[in-house]
Amino acid sequence: MFLRSKGSEELIGRVKEISGQDPHLCMQCGTCGGNCTAREFMDFLPRQVVRMVQLGDARALRCRSIWICSTCLLCTVRCPRGIDVARMMEALRVINLRRGREALPVAKIPAGLLGQVPQMALVGGLRKLSA
Amino acid sequence: MEMPYFPGCTLYRKAENLDASTRSSLAALGVKLIELPRWTCCGAVVPLARDNYMGMVAAARILADAAKMGKTLATVCSFCYNVLKQVNYVMQRDPEARQKLNNYLEEGYRGEVRVIHALEICRQNPSLRAAKDRGSGYLRGLKVACYYGCTLLRPAAVALDDAENPAVMEEMVAVLGAEAVAYPLRTACCGSYQVLHEGALVAQKVREIIASASAAGAEVIITSCPLCQFNLDWWQERFSREDGGFRPVPVLYFTQLLGMALGVPPGDLGLERHLVDPRPLLSGAPL
Repeated sequence: MFLRSKGSEELIGRVKEISGQDPHLCMQCGTCGGNCTAREFMDFLPRQVVRMVQLGDARALRCRSIWICSTCLLCTVRCPRGIDVARMMEALRVINLRRGREALPVAKIPAGLLGQVPQMALVGGLRKLSA
Repeated sequence: MEMPYFPGCTLYRKAENLDASTRSSLAALGVKLIELPRWTCCGAVVPLARDNYMGMVAAARILADAAKMGKTLATVCSFCYNVLKQVNYVMQRDPEARQKLNNYLEEGYRGEVRVIHALEICRQNPSLRAAKDRGSGYLRGLKVACYYGCTLLRPAAVALDDAENPAVMEEMVAVLGAEAVAYPLRTACCGSYQVLHEGALVAQKVREIIASASAAGAEVIITSCPLCQFNLDWWQERFSREDGGFRPVPVLYFTQLLGMALGVPPGDLGLERHLVDPRPLLSGAPL
């Protein structure tokens, strides 16, 4: 069971401010996860990440899911409550990135791929996943 | 007809064949693309954090420059299209962001340029429509899976077509005399830039998309996204090496198919640059 702490309200407030979304609109239907590109690779489904944000649970910042999101926006266009879920995932990423916590240091990009991928993958990937 | 054109960074390097086939096929339709005199990478992805103005500066600069050349800006890379159109949307509707970006750029841009994708140019083009009216069939029933991916369609506010049920690529394919197959995953995500971070995710997505297209009888897949093209092509080549039973489907840019149908010399289309070689399949078509 999760108990709110002093940091909970701060987390909820920051996610709201950065994403422009109200997590409390979410009714936990799970449409986002059902459509999610990366669902099988996530530790928590997008619905669960949103639930953590509703509660101010800091595990939302530490979960793997936020880094596995490919910002395909399927959740965003299909949410019956009109929540831009991808913006909430991005808010959780940038809170980390602005503290220097990144998922994709350049050194971790496989060497065999580095010279082959299109430039847009490098620009996009580093913008989303690197500090 | 001349139209200002933004190629984008990838089209100068890994996707030169998308750039060349776009210019040559649109020229065959009477549209001459005039490259912006100066441009940078658009930023590839739109910042989804509302306070990230820096992530929109490059696209705002490109749009403000384009406004000095004309009323429209043509582009073909799906990422560039998405970024330019989304930042343009912000410049039109968000006074605070507009002011901040204009102050930084020392511009007075208000979102007046219309960002147009090469598929939209084709949709409106009378020469292509005339081909349909003549009932000409250049590609003789070739079975084509149109793959839209994400950024042409989402978010809905900047979608090229109906975000859930697009038809623009299928209509073009039909005009060219080929057959667009119906398959469920045409608007799915290929995994995108996760190829750098979580390759297994992209591998799985590619398997699913290829299986879906193959089950519908697709002989070739077309796209306008260099990253979708890379992911689908690179992983299929790898699957083929690892499993002799895997049957890869060539992945072309839609402009390459269009160019072939319109009589652009095959040497100008860069077909040889793909890992899954489309040339054996297409050699049967009248080139």
